[in-house]
Amino acid sequence: MDDSDEALMAQVARGDEPAYRLLTRRHLPAMLGLARRILGNAADAEDVAQEAMLRVWTHAPRWQPLAAVRTWLTRVVVNLCLDRKRRVPWIDLDAAGEIADPAPGAGEKAEHNERERLLAAAVAELPARQRTAIVLTYSEGMSNAQVADILDTSVSAIETLLVRAKQNLRRALGHVIDEDQLR
Amino acid sequence: MTNEQFQAFLDRHGANSARWPKRQREHAERLIASDARARAIFDAAWRLDDALARHTKAARADDAAVARVHARLASPLPRQKITLWRLPTVLLDWQFAPAWPRVAALACCAALGFVIGIAGLDRRFDIPGAPFAIASRADLGAIVFEPEPLTGARP
Repeated sequence: MDDSDEALMAQVARGDEPAYRLLTRRHLPAMLGLARRILGNAADAEDVAQEAMLRVWTHAPRWQPLAAVRTWLTRVVVNLCLDRKRRVPWIDLDAAGEIADPAPGAGEKAEHNERERLLAAAVAELPARQRTAIVLTYSEGMSNAQVADILDTSVSAIETLLVRAKQNLRRALGHVIDEDQLR
Repeated sequence: MTNEQFQAFLDRHGANSARWPKRQREHAERLIASDARARAIFDAAWRLDDALARHTKAARADDAAVARVHARLASPLPRQKITLWRLPTVLLDWQFAPAWPRVAALACCAALGFVIGIAGLDRRFDIPGAPFAIASRADLGAIVFEPEPLTGARP
């Protein structure tokens, strides 16, 4: 039995609920993580992930296999996140405290946490599209062309977003980067 | 390539040389090897990239959050959106595979019936006078109601 994403999507388009559940189990963790990284807020990310997975069900009959299911789903999640950011600007500075920290000593750990907090704050303050471009590039490991495809824009527009995002980050974290403290 | 251009290049493509465009890679690598300021820019870009990768990958969804969303999706699903112009496609997508022997048998019966009807194999030729009887039944209306060909008299 073919259990590729595309085959499952064809089954979902015919109203096959078990196929939908399988597709959800496969993609929900990644999509939830992506939404959380873009939004910086766990509760909003859960809402976005739920909405995106429901769209898989409701829009399946209209789905055309022009792109991979994963790419299409990523685009849905990114668009929902950007819509939400437009409606409710949110900066979650507390999220920095939840990041795993492999620092060896207690003093170094506190210092490391402070640096991570600064970085999280700087990333959270980026405009939504710049932040999305950073997340897709560094978290998902996408090329500039893939990010452009997801954000439905040109590669040069993505390059501009990345340049501006890093300029903003350097401005916010200048001394931290210069002093070689981000390691 | 000036240092400002090199900085913009690193911002666009990152500090990982594997992601650099082939045309500019060699030039950028030469610049890093020969210019101390370019090397410092490259080191800073590498540190920023490393920190961004670490930071963005750290914010993974936890299992509890995944379970919560699964639970919210467990309720009855809404109706799927099917546009009218897609209905023929939906019908074409119908799976005949499990019933194909029955569909094949039905198609054979239909074809056989068509052949028998066209060839007239259902008529009985073994009854003497049957063709005449068929012809006389067909012409009965004309004999009864048509006027006499020679005199024009009606019956």
